Amino acid sequence: MNPRLLSMRTLTRAGMVITALVTWPGMTAQAGEGHPMTIVAANYPLAYFAERLGGEWVRVSLPVPADEDPAYWQPDSKTIQAMQQADLVALNGADYEQWLNLISLPRRKRVDTSAAFRSRYLVIKEAVTHSHGGSGTHSHDGTASTTWLDFSQAIQQSTALAAAMIRQRPDLQRTIEQNQTFLTADLLALDAAMQRVADQLHGQTVMASHPVYQYLARRYGLNLESVHWEPQEMPAATEWTALRERLSRHPAQLMVWEDTPSNGIRQALTGLNLKPVDFLPCANRPRHGNFLSVMRANIANLEATITSPQNTQTQKPRNSKGRSQ
Amino acid sequence: MRHAFYLSWRHLCHYRIRSLVLIACLSLMGALPVALHALLDQGERHLLSRAKDTPLVIGARASGLDLTLSALYFSNPELPKTTMAELERVENSGWALALPIYSRLRVKGQPLVGVTLDYLDYRQLHIGQGRMMATLGDAVLGADAARSLGLGVGDQLLTTPGNLFDLAGIYPLKLNITGLLEKQHTPDDQAIFIDLKTAWIIEGLGHGHEPPAPPSAHGANPAIQGSPATYTEITPENLASFHFHGDPGTYPISAVLAVPDNHRAATLLRGRYLDETQPGQLVEPLAVTRNLLDNIFRIRELFDVILALVGLATLLALSLVFWLSLRMRRGEMQTLFLLGSSRLTLFRLILAESLLLALASLALGALWIQLAQRGLGESALKFLTNG
Repeated sequence: MNPRLLSMRTLTRAGMVITALVTWPGMTAQAGEGHPMTIVAANYPLAYFAERLGGEWVRVSLPVPADEDPAYWQPDSKTIQAMQQADLVALNGADYEQWLNLISLPRRKRVDTSAAFRSRYLVIKEAVTHSHGGSGTHSHDGTASTTWLDFSQAIQQSTALAAAMIRQRPDLQRTIEQNQTFLTADLLALDAAMQRVADQLHGQTVMASHPVYQYLARRYGLNLESVHWEPQEMPAATEWTALRERLSRHPAQLMVWEDTPSNGIRQALTGLNLKPVDFLPCANRPRHGNFLSVMRANIANLEATITSPQNTQTQKPRNSKGRSQ
Repeated sequence: MRHAFYLSWRHLCHYRIRSLVLIACLSLMGALPVALHALLDQGERHLLSRAKDTPLVIGARASGLDLTLSALYFSNPELPKTTMAELERVENSGWALALPIYSRLRVKGQPLVGVTLDYLDYRQLHIGQGRMMATLGDAVLGADAARSLGLGVGDQLLTTPGNLFDLAGIYPLKLNITGLLEKQHTPDDQAIFIDLKTAWIIEGLGHGHEPPAPPSAHGANPAIQGSPATYTEITPENLASFHFHGDPGTYPISAVLAVPDNHRAATLLRGRYLDETQPGQLVEPLAVTRNLLDNIFRIRELFDVILALVGLATLLALSLVFWLSLRMRRGEMQTLFLLGSSRLTLFRLILAESLLLALASLALGALWIQLAQRGLGESALKFLTNG
């Protein structure tokens, strides 16, 4: 065998080995030295942001059971222990975590993702106390907390989360910053799409089944009127009467719902010429898809309902008469 | 010389009481200044080590020494309070890790210290038995506090007012002991640690109570039936009913321990507290502690002079005792001389006896020093920090 050929082959092989070692994640500075970063998120949007930002270098947990609303959930002692041992506890802020004052958590590991827009929190007054099935009563009085439905706020929340993740694990800075660019682009696209759909409403009133869309309404200029209804619980006759009375003052053709309402409710709404639109806040992990796909579906639902022929026909006279109707 | 030592040994054994008194006097005279210096050195090491571990302390404007001792050793519960706004000010600067401390409370003589878990992490206080506090009402005990209170994991500890007439005093709350900390040989061993929020409940800033009763059959308004009962024990059942009133920024704390990220951050933080008209002040525990030690050293110098004078007097007295003893043994020496012992032999006998006494005194003195260091080291530290 030609010795020059042999040495070339040896050099090539050595080069391949070196290249493999250098590009292998475990050998680079972005290796996420040691264990993956553990993050406990207070709701699904934050869990999704953390997963997108950290990728394979983070282990994100959302301890809220699938059938519970994270806003009314209470952690048990095992979950508290997990939170204490996590590298980071991602909080929504805006009084979302009602358990925060009841448990011991290191301040250093907590990140209040909405702190940057604390001065712009919305306060709900004169809220009604109500119950969801057998899960006890609650009230939405206080600070509106579904902050992420304003996608510009969602960007600020993901930015705060990214900064906290980098503070905890500076070795992951490049990965997190790269991922943040993509996540921000996706959220900006949602923001633009939602704004475009909201513009098509031309100021017409939108009814909401639950008072959770305050930030959505503020950001995208929706003329929103909320009731306190549950998708699977037929409202009492008095509540229907109250809705009719409200519709007479604020005529609306759309009603956004946290989840698909029961057939009975749908039929009754049709009788009032109100079209139900699923717009899921996605506070807990969805059965299918992820935060992005659910929000895209929400916007698509809203757009499809607005642009449906029936709605367009009824919209025309409204537009011609303006908002004073 | 071997024979001289034997004879001296027998002589000392024969007059054992006199020999023991001499050895005790000599050993104490030698050990006292050394032990005192060793104790003060040990106290100094402890003080400096704690101070070095706590770069900056921020609190209400008062005596810097009181603030340092309160933040580092949980002494002086009467120190003026600062607020959580001061903590947020440090946190928002992004220059330092900020650790709030609430050290105003005492239970059965032990400091009841409100902290966040960051404090336990920073001081590397690990759980030896049980688990870390998890919810309001939980407490973990330092090793010495657990021993002196006789409490263990699963026990309860009731917070009580300082005295019977302390109407505005602390709120009686049953604390659940969830864990015991490993011994650290620091003031943390003496403390009972609770969450800062539990400390505020004890202060009366937060509480939990039964939900208001529905209107009675006679239509009486629950608001005029009296306030609902306030819980004195936090249980999983009533935990969710606990809440706080007022602006969290105004909640009291004793001090903020600030651990700057680097030298530049420390300088910037110091700069924020230069204005003496503002309510907060920043102290450097190391500088304050060195100042305290300088004062202690001045007292030590005085002690040294007194000890030297006492030592000289004792030495003179012992020399007199020794000389008188020789005078008393003049007959014995004469007998030995008549038996044929030379003057050198007699000198050797006296020298051997003196050496044996010196050796025994040295050994006993070393023992005194060891015992003093082991038994009084922490007591000296307590004396220095509690006054």
